[in-house]
Amino acid sequence: MAVSEITTPKAAALHLLCSLSLLVVHWLAWNLYSWSLITHTSETLGLCLIVHGPIVIGVYSLVRRDRQHCSYWMAVARGLFGLPVGALVMSFGAIVLGAPVGIRYLKRTAYWSLLMSIFTFVPPACVFGSSRVDWHRIFAHFKPEESLDALVCLPAYGSVIGAWIGAWPMPLDWERPWQEWPICVTYGAVAGYWIGGFASSVFILIHGPVHVKED
Amino acid sequence: MAASKWVLIRPFFLILTLHSLAIYLFTRGFLLTRTELSSFSHCSDKSQSPCSIPSPTNNANASFLGDHPPKSGSNGQCWTRPAVDRLVIIILDALRFDFVAPSFFFEEKKPWMDKLEVLQKLASDEGMSSRIFKAIADPPTTSLQRLKGLTTGGLPTFIDVGNSFGAPAIVEDNLIFQLANNGKRVLMMGDDTWVKLFPHRFNESYPYPSFNVKDLDTVDNGVIEHLLPSLLRDDWDVLIAHFLGVDHAGHIYGVDSTPMIAKLEQYNNILEEVVQVLKNQSGSGGLHENTLLVVMGDHGQTLNGDHGGGTAEEVETSLFAMSLRNPPAPVATVLDKNYCQLDLDGKKICIGTFQQLDFAVTMASLLGIPFPFGSIGRVNPELYALTGRTWETHNQCAEKLGSHSNLESWMLNYVNNLCVNTWQVKRYIDLYSITSVIGLPAEDLLYINALYSQAQGSWLDIMKFALYSENGTHSRIMDNTTSVLQRQIDAYSSFLEGVAELARFAWTEFNLMLMVFGLCVMLTSLCVHLYSIRTVHALCKSYYPFSGSSTSLRVLTVIFFVAIRAFSFLSNSYILAEGRVASFLLGTSGILNLWFSSDTGEVAVENLLFLVLNIIIRFGMESGLSKETIGSGSSIVHSFGSTGIEKGWSLKLGLLELLPILALSILVVLIYIIISRNFFWKRLKYFYTMGNSLCCMLMSVHWIVESNIIAASEELKNFGKTFAPRIIYSIGLLHFVLLALSLTINKKYMVPVSNPTDALAIVATGMLSAWSSTILILLGRQGPNVALVCILGAWCITRLNWAAQVDAESGTATGPISNPMPVLQWSLLAVCLFYYTGHWCTFDGLRYAAAFIGFEHFNIVQQGILLAIDTFGVSHIIPVLSIPFLVISKHQISKKKQPDGLLFINLTQAFLIYGLITAFTTTLTIICVTIQRRHLMVWGLFAPKYVFDVLGLLLTDVLICVGSLFYY
Repeated sequence: MAVSEITTPKAAALHLLCSLSLLVVHWLAWNLYSWSLITHTSETLGLCLIVHGPIVIGVYSLVRRDRQHCSYWMAVARGLFGLPVGALVMSFGAIVLGAPVGIRYLKRTAYWSLLMSIFTFVPPACVFGSSRVDWHRIFAHFKPEESLDALVCLPAYGSVIGAWIGAWPMPLDWERPWQEWPICVTYGAVAGYWIGGFASSVFILIHGPVHVKED
Repeated sequence: MAASKWVLIRPFFLILTLHSLAIYLFTRGFLLTRTELSSFSHCSDKSQSPCSIPSPTNNANASFLGDHPPKSGSNGQCWTRPAVDRLVIIILDALRFDFVAPSFFFEEKKPWMDKLEVLQKLASDEGMSSRIFKAIADPPTTSLQRLKGLTTGGLPTFIDVGNSFGAPAIVEDNLIFQLANNGKRVLMMGDDTWVKLFPHRFNESYPYPSFNVKDLDTVDNGVIEHLLPSLLRDDWDVLIAHFLGVDHAGHIYGVDSTPMIAKLEQYNNILEEVVQVLKNQSGSGGLHENTLLVVMGDHGQTLNGDHGGGTAEEVETSLFAMSLRNPPAPVATVLDKNYCQLDLDGKKICIGTFQQLDFAVTMASLLGIPFPFGSIGRVNPELYALTGRTWETHNQCAEKLGSHSNLESWMLNYVNNLCVNTWQVKRYIDLYSITSVIGLPAEDLLYINALYSQAQGSWLDIMKFALYSENGTHSRIMDNTTSVLQRQIDAYSSFLEGVAELARFAWTEFNLMLMVFGLCVMLTSLCVHLYSIRTVHALCKSYYPFSGSSTSLRVLTVIFFVAIRAFSFLSNSYILAEGRVASFLLGTSGILNLWFSSDTGEVAVENLLFLVLNIIIRFGMESGLSKETIGSGSSIVHSFGSTGIEKGWSLKLGLLELLPILALSILVVLIYIIISRNFFWKRLKYFYTMGNSLCCMLMSVHWIVESNIIAASEELKNFGKTFAPRIIYSIGLLHFVLLALSLTINKKYMVPVSNPTDALAIVATGMLSAWSSTILILLGRQGPNVALVCILGAWCITRLNWAAQVDAESGTATGPISNPMPVLQWSLLAVCLFYYTGHWCTFDGLRYAAAFIGFEHFNIVQQGILLAIDTFGVSHIIPVLSIPFLVISKHQISKKKQPDGLLFINLTQAFLIYGLITAFTTTLTIICVTIQRRHLMVWGLFAPKYVFDVLGLLLTDVLICVGSLFYY
C-alpha cells in the first residue's frame, strides 16, 4: 500500500529521485551516445522524456489525493492525459513569448514543451486529477496551504520562472551554441525545478508532514 | 476646476523643460556635429589667394612645363605644380601599425609582426625614396568615416549635417571629386563602400561586396585579379585598390590567429609583385616613371579585431610610400622628427609620423589638383620630400632669392605649397564659422586669425622684398635663405596645427562636463516626476479616500518590468533585440494578467485575444527584421514569397495589392462605429466621418495607382500619386485646427455634454481621427493592418483594465497609480508597434520612402516633418494621444457616480506614469551611452539609439502637454 503521510525525508527523497533522474539522463546521453543538450538537442530532450517522464508519473501517482476513489493506475492515466494538454499550453506560452517557429525548431519545441509539461502539469494531474478547486488554489492563488500543495506546485513554479529567466541570455551576441532555442531555456527550467524541489522540501520540513486523507 | 486644471497641467511643462535642458546639455557634450559645406574648390580660385601675387611665376612655369609636360590639364599648373604623374593607393583595411613597422621598434616580437617584409626591406634599402610612416587616424575609426576623412581631409563626426539624407554618398568636396573634375582618370577596385560614397566618380571600378564579415577572400581575390594587369595599362592616373581581408580576419579570428598571418603573408607576396612591376616600368619613358605608391591602412584594430573607438591600437595605422623617382637628397636632411633604429643587419630604418587628416591635401598637392574645400590638413613634409620633382628649382622667385642648393629649392617649393594650403584652410574656417549651425569657439578663432595674418604677412614681405629689390641687395638674403624659409615653414605649420587642434577639439572630443551635467538634470527630472506623481496621488486621496497601501503586487511587477527593460539597454545585444524584448515583456504581462484574472475565476476572452495579438506582433516584427537585411518592399509580399508561393504569381500579387484595401475598409467600418458611438457632437460629427471616409477612399486610390494593377490615365496617376496624399494631409491638418479652434473659442457650446467623461471621449476621438489618416497613408500598405492590430491591442488593454478595476471597486485602490499595469502595457505596445511597422533605431532604419509620399522634390522641412510623423506616428503620437481611453473606459463603465475632478486626476496620473516609464528608459539609454562612449559600436548602435530615444522622449513630453491642454 502506498504511503499514508509524506514526511520530510520522503518528500526530499521524491525530489531527489526526480532531480537525479535528470542527471542520470545527462550522464547516459553523454556516455552511451556522446550526446549533449547542446549538440543533440532534440535527442537529449527525447531521452529526458523517456526516462524522467515515467519516474515523475510513477512517483507522483504514489502521493495522489483522494485515494479511496482513485487507484494508482487511474492516477497514472490522469498524468498521461495531462502530459499533452500541458504541452499545448506550454508551447502556446513559449510562442507568445517569442519562441522561434519553423520546421527546424518544430521537434525541439515539441520535446521541450512535453518536458515542461512533465515539470509543471503532470504532477498536479497525477495528484489532484481534474479537481477544479485544487488547481485553482495552487495556480491562481499561489498559496500552498499544505505540504502536498508545496510538493506539487513549488517545482512547477520554479521551472516556469527558471525557463523565463533562462530566455534572457538568448539575444546576447556571444555566439555560443547554448544560446539556441531551447537549450538555455531548458537549463533555466531544470535549475528552477531543482530549486523548487529543494524549497518544497524545506517547506514540508517547516510545516510538518502531510496527512493524506485515507477516508 | 479652472484652478485645479493648471495645478494638474503645470508638472507636465516643468518636466518638459527639465528634459529639454538635460537633453540639450547632454547632446552638446556627446553628439559632435559638423556642418557640411557645399562649396567646392576650383582651379581658378587660386587667383584670390595671396600666394599668387608674384605674377612672373607663371612665365617661369611655362618654361618649366615645356620640359615636363603633365599628362592632363591644358593650362598645366592648377594650384600647385604636379609632383607625381600617377598614383597607386593600396588600402589594406585595419592595418595595424605593428603589421608594417619592424619588430625591433617594439618591446616584444609578436607572431603577427614582420610579415610584410617587402615594405620593411624597401624602407631600409632605399631610404631616399621609400618610407614607413606611423599614420594616426582620428576617431570614429570605422571604415566609412575613415574613408570620408581620408578623401575630404576633414574630421567626419557622427552627425554631419548635410543636404541629403539616406544616401551615404559624400556631398562635400573631396579628393575623388577633384580628381574627376580635373581630368584625372580614377580606377577603383575592392571594397564597394567606395562606389557608394562616390557614385559615378570612377572611370572604371571593380567593386566587391563588403558586408559579409565571414568572407575573407572574395574582395581580396577580386582585387588581385585586376590589380597586376591594371598596373601595365596607361588609361588611368590614380589607382585605388582596397583589400578587406585583414579587417575581416580580425573581426572573426582576432589578430593573433593563423588566418590573419596567412592574410598578411598573402599581402606580402602581392606587394612584392606590385613593386616589381612598378620598378620594371620606372625607367625613363616607362609607364611608371614618376609614380607614387602608397600602401596604407584606414584605421588600426585591437587584438580582438575591434575598431571604431579612439584607443591607440585603433587609431595607429601605417602608411608606406615609395616614389619611383628618387629625390636627390635623403629625406632625413630636411626633417628632424624622425624615429630611426638600426636593424639586425645594421641598416637604418626611419619611421615618420603622418596624420590621416593630411592625406587628402598631400595627395592633392602632389597631383597638382585643387585641395578639397573642407580639408584642414597640411601638406606632409616627409611625404612631399619623397618625390623627386619637389626638389627641382622652377621658380623665378627662387632664382631671385638665390637659392641654388637642392634643399633650398625644396624648401621654397614646400613653402609655396604651404602658402596655398594655409589660405585654403583659412577660407574654409571663415566660411564654416559664418554658416554652420554650431560655430567654433570665438577666442580660438581670434587666435587662429592672429596666427594666419602673422604667417601670410611675413611671407608677403619676403616675396615683395625678393621681387622688387634689385640684384644688389639680394645677397643679404642669400646668406640666410634657409633660416628664413625654415621660419616661414614654422609659421605656416603653427597656423595649420592650431586649426587642426581646434577642429579636433570641436569635432572629436566629448565634453564630459556637459554630459555629466545633462545626466544630473535628467536624474533631477526623474525625482520631479516621482514627486508630482506623489502630489497627484495625495490629491486623488482627498477625493476618494481609500485605505489600500500603494505598493501592491502589481505595482512591484510593473516596476520590475520597467527596470528590466531599462537596464537591458546597457548591453548592445539587447538594444538590437529591443523589439523582441518588448514583445517578450508584453507577452509576459499578458500571461500575468491571465494569471491575476484566473484568481477571480473569470478568464476573459480579451486575455487570450491579447496573447494571440502578441503572437501576430511578434511575427510581424520578425518579417520586419528580415526586411532589414533584404531591404525590399512590402512585408506581406515578402512573407508570401518566402513561404514559397510561386505559381500564379501575378494573380496572387494582384490579390495582395487588394488586401490592404480590404483591411482598410474593415478599419473604416470600425472607425465609423467608434465615432458614431462616442460622438454626440452633432455638427462636427458629420465632418469627421466624412473626412475620414474621404481619406480612406483617397488612400485606396493612391495605392491602386501605385501598384499599377489598373492601367490608369496620366491624370489619374498624377492625382493618385501626388494630390491624393496631399489632400489627406490637409484634411488631417484641418481637423486638428478645427478641433483646437472650437475648443478655445467656446468649449461649453461646442461640447454640450453634461458628463465630463463623454466630453473627454469626444475630444480624444477627434484628436485621433485628425492624426490617424496622415499616419495611415505614410505607413503605406501595412498601415491598415497596423491600425487594426493597434485598435485591437488598445481595446484588449482597456477592457482588461476595466475588468481589473471592477474587482477593485469593492473597496481597495482605484486609478492608474494602484494599477499601472495597463499603462505599462500601453507603452510596451507602443514600442512593439514601432518595430512592427518596420522601423528600427538606426538612420538607415528610417523609412525614407514615406517622406516622399505625395511629394517628388526634397525639402528639408516638409520631408523632415513627414519622416518624423512616419517614424514616431504609431509608436508615440497615437499611443500618447489615446491614453484618455484608458481612464475613460473605467469611468464609463463604473456604475457609481464618480466625483467630477477624479477623471482628470486619473488622467494626469496616467500621463505621468506613461511619461515616467519613457523618461526612465531614456535615462538608462543616456547612462549607457555615457559608459559606452568609447565602445566599438558607439556610432553604429548606441548613438542612433540615443537620438531616437531622446527625440521620442521629447515628443512624448510635448504630446502630453498638448494633450493636457486639449483634454482638460
